[in-house]
Amino acid sequence: MRIPSIEIASRKVFEKIGLETVDLPGYSCCPEPVVSRLLDKTAWLVTSARNLALAEELGSDLMTLCNGCYETLVETNEVLKHDPEELRKTNEVLKRYGKQYTGKVKVKHAVEVLYEEIGVDRIKQQVVKPQKIRVALHYGCHLYREPEGEDIMRKPNMMKELTRLTGAEIVDYRLERLCCGYPSMQADEEFSLKQRLLLKLRHIKEAGADAVVLTCPACTIQFEIGQVMLKRYGVQYNIPCINMMELLALSFGVPSKDLHLELHKSPVLRLAQKMEAM
Amino acid sequence: MVSENEITTYLRQELGEDLIKASKTRERRVSVRIKPTALRKAVNALQKQYPTLRFMTLSTVDHGLDFEFLHHFHVDGAVVTLRSVKPKEDNTLESIVDLIPAANFIEREVADLFGVKLVNHPQPQHLILTKDWPDDKRPLRRPLEGELPPQARPVAEALISTSCVAPISAFMQKKREEAGLPRTPPFAFTDEKTMEEFHGIMKDTNLAKKAGYDWKKKRLRYK
Repeated sequence: MRIPSIEIASRKVFEKIGLETVDLPGYSCCPEPVVSRLLDKTAWLVTSARNLALAEELGSDLMTLCNGCYETLVETNEVLKHDPEELRKTNEVLKRYGKQYTGKVKVKHAVEVLYEEIGVDRIKQQVVKPQKIRVALHYGCHLYREPEGEDIMRKPNMMKELTRLTGAEIVDYRLERLCCGYPSMQADEEFSLKQRLLLKLRHIKEAGADAVVLTCPACTIQFEIGQVMLKRYGVQYNIPCINMMELLALSFGVPSKDLHLELHKSPVLRLAQKMEAM
Repeated sequence: MVSENEITTYLRQELGEDLIKASKTRERRVSVRIKPTALRKAVNALQKQYPTLRFMTLSTVDHGLDFEFLHHFHVDGAVVTLRSVKPKEDNTLESIVDLIPAANFIEREVADLFGVKLVNHPQPQHLILTKDWPDDKRPLRRPLEGELPPQARPVAEALISTSCVAPISAFMQKKREEAGLPRTPPFAFTDEKTMEEFHGIMKDTNLAKKAGYDWKKKRLRYK
């Protein structure tokens, strides 16, 4: 939402691959997974359950573009599905507002939906303009969250494969699993920037990547704003931070001007124009 | 000997809705949470019913956002504590000295140490601090702060007030429109009735209270 180009790109990608999506009317913040959960577990559960109940009313499953939203919704969904007492307490509040959640909704990250529901072959068919760039992947910590099963690399591997479909070459930089520092910004800015983001940027640069590819808007904000903030500490990086949906849209032949990539705080537009000129 | 149950039943009867909660915390200990406006009414009621009532002391806790005043009384072998909580922005304590003269010194001590203003105290001068002690530096007073660290405050404030931790700026709304998107997605904040529902949930659960949110000013009570 804070980076509209991700929303635009996602809608264009869904349209091209024939995935019908419906916006959830009246939804609220997932809620964000750090402050609200630590402050009051019940509020965290009820707020999230309200969003799940809205999806249930529509008879739909819930897809998120953000890793943080994914984690909150998946975790609360798990609690509500497996803890009858928490479900009862949550519904006690929701009922005051004419709502109820019964636990029927499945929460999926867009990466999963693309990979599992649409499939690699259908996506591959849409790639008309392979992107000849070297990219580093930042999966984002919450993408490792697996409500069922233990393979925490399941979704990151999907992201890897989907990124490869765009024609991009993936470079390893050895710190893929390190957090970008977004959550710790709320506690210690210097730690977040210097002990998390900077380490990643340094390795990404050394690995020779033209850009970093992300699936999480919150991580994207940390990478983009963080590069600006690092200048205060005498460190200069200007690595383009492109969302996987934007990269897919470009590879599907969507012109960069239609994606409004100028809304990024890193030189994503310049990168896209360079690729278009190739 | 009067039982703990008799004391709570009596106070419930006398105070009605001014009594928030009354319970026996352990043998011969009774805790009575009252509305702060009902302090004198509660003391009056105790005096009326228990002629041997003795005021023991007043303790005060600075919780960051609120002051908790605990007036302890001895009632026939039991300790009855009247608990009242006041927001620190109010910063007053209603004196009970005219009802209980023994409260004189302890009320002044609380005023000195916490910087609370006494209302209707017959001698509101400093008791333990010097006359020239600065008003803004009190030995036991904490800053007006809730549980949230500074960096987390804007997140909580935005979530409670708008249902969204990152409200969309007017600039971004315009940009969204130019890009062919609706000015905002169908978030709760786009509809008044839905926002009432969301705010209801914030009130029904403890999030707004724990964060220290002021519903009238629509912001946290502290920066």
